[in-house]
Amino acid sequence: MKRFDIELTVGLFIIAGILCLGYLSVKLGRMEILGSKGYEVYALFSNSGGLKNGSSVVIAGVDVGRVKSISLEDYQARVLINLSEGVEIQEDAIASIKTKGLIGEKFIEITPGGSETIIPPGGRIRETQPPIDFEQVISKYVFGKVD
Amino acid sequence: MKPIGLYRKFLFFSLIFAIATPVCAGVPTEKIKDTTEKILSIVTDPDLKGPDRDKERKALIREVVDERFDWEELSRRALARHWRKLNEEQKKEFIILFGKLLERTYLDRVEGYSGEQVTYVNEVIEGEYALVEIKVLTTKGTEIPVNYKLRKKGEDWRVYDIAIEGVSLVNNYRVQFNDIITKSSYEELVKKLQEKVAEK
Repeated sequence: MKRFDIELTVGLFIIAGILCLGYLSVKLGRMEILGSKGYEVYALFSNSGGLKNGSSVVIAGVDVGRVKSISLEDYQARVLINLSEGVEIQEDAIASIKTKGLIGEKFIEITPGGSETIIPPGGRIRETQPPIDFEQVISKYVFGKVD
Repeated sequence: MKPIGLYRKFLFFSLIFAIATPVCAGVPTEKIKDTTEKILSIVTDPDLKGPDRDKERKALIREVVDERFDWEELSRRALARHWRKLNEEQKKEFIILFGKLLERTYLDRVEGYSGEQVTYVNEVIEGEYALVEIKVLTTKGTEIPVNYKLRKKGEDWRVYDIAIEGVSLVNNYRVQFNDIITKSSYEELVKKLQEKVAEK
């Protein structure tokens, strides 16, 4: 009887450990098992340079969602965004791709608009701003100074 | 099926496609082209050169720009959620003020025109929205992409945002206005704009 108790306890601990490990890997990997809460909208960018699945979406610096997928549509980047429940995006909101710091990772910042119309689930954020390509800006400056 | 029936069917379908697919240089591009040409003709007019005709020239340019720009929409988008809190009188005052600010900021650059070439690259129409992509070739040989965003108003197309090198004008002002309003107040923003406009 005593022996059985020890074995049971060890078993329970191992199961608990495996569950914790599973939880950690899901959290750290930003995976979704049971489907995410909230709703999806998409946006078309002329360039998504450096944006990845799982990149954060912020309003006024506050995390309100994540990038779910990035695909090519008519030679533009179609970015699918998963927004938290209760976050309302107006029809004239602008989504811009920004960089954290000078060389940090890319994220999407949404500047809310003033329209009365709210983008429905599955809708599109029409106004977008691609990231500024510093290399291109610098090369323009350099080649602009030919004379 | 007789060949003549097939031919008719083909004709019918090609007609549908002809209606459905947008023509390369559509109405929005024509409008932008028209406005650009009008402005260039004013800027390059030798009769209007010289500092003594400064005011007249500026007024003429402003008139042409007013025809194409939807100042109310621009102001509404720039103020975003703060716009709804204003009463009609404040809205009117802001539209005039914002127009003057943009005039002050950009008119000098337009007047500094020195033979830059404009090419019309692309046009996308989606319902009541349109995007006209142009490229400005400077005299030094650099290309600057400029995107006009237009919205249909009645039968006319009016500009509600411009993106230069991908950077949106509305977003630029929206962020700044929001900063000022949340830090202080709308009245403070108006005061700041008035000071800026009055600056020589």
